[in-house]
Amino acid sequence: MLRLISCHQATLLIEQRADAPPPPRDRRSLWLHLRYCPYCRRYARQTVLIVQLAQARAGAPGALPGLPGAARQRIQQQLLGAGLDSL
Amino acid sequence: MLTTPFPAPEPRQWLARYGDELYRYALARVADAHGAEELVQTTLLHALQALGRFRGEASERTWLFAILKRQVLDYYRQQARCPEVPLAELAPDGPTEADFFEAANGHWRAAQAPASWRTADGPLEQQELQAALQRCQERLPPRHGAVFALRFVEELPAEEICRELSLSAANYWVIVHRAKLQLRRCLEKHGLGRA
Repeated sequence: MLRLISCHQATLLIEQRADAPPPPRDRRSLWLHLRYCPYCRRYARQTVLIVQLAQARAGAPGALPGLPGAARQRIQQQLLGAGLDSL
Repeated sequence: MLTTPFPAPEPRQWLARYGDELYRYALARVADAHGAEELVQTTLLHALQALGRFRGEASERTWLFAILKRQVLDYYRQQARCPEVPLAELAPDGPTEADFFEAANGHWRAAQAPASWRTADGPLEQQELQAALQRCQERLPPRHGAVFALRFVEELPAEEICRELSLSAANYWVIVHRAKLQLRRCLEKHGLGRA
């Protein structure tokens, strides 16, 4: 028996299935929902893209600026205060 | 063991050798420069105190990054636990499902239904998109932002996040769902929506 689900339920299931396969009943409901709902099909693609973008940024920070000079000096002072010189 | 495969750390060289790299790693995660500077500082201070425990099992660089990673996780945990919510903010945890879906039938509200996105082609565009996402992440309620980062950037298992932040599984999913709904809408408004 296929249970009809709303977009609210479908998008939540889309998030949950990324972690673990939902029970067969939910899987069938989601499959059917995605057959006729173009918006939730888009959501399913876009939510994956969002994670890929977030990971790409965190994984390749090379384009970001380096440690500012003022912060470098401040940290150096902190390290000296914590005994860097007495090593 | 008398000899160690990696040479002893040289704390006087840390800032010169790894300052930029550690800072960029932090900056890619915490959005604001000040927060990233703080993370580099606490990392190096922790490392200095833990110098006696350096066993040479990893390089000095790997060791420092392991300490920084723990600092980053702590940063997210704190962000999730003590959200600084402006008093004027009526809904401290931001938009709810009711903002996105019709109460009557759970379908997308007309104005919220996902539009198709331009695809990201060039490397420059990728960078712009990543920057847009970063700005959207900053707009999330603090706890949502922390859960999103812990799960999808740091890739901690959901159970661990729930345990660390004392969240029920149901609450965890509400937060993940809302965070994604908000990020999706924000990205669509700022750059990804079809012109």
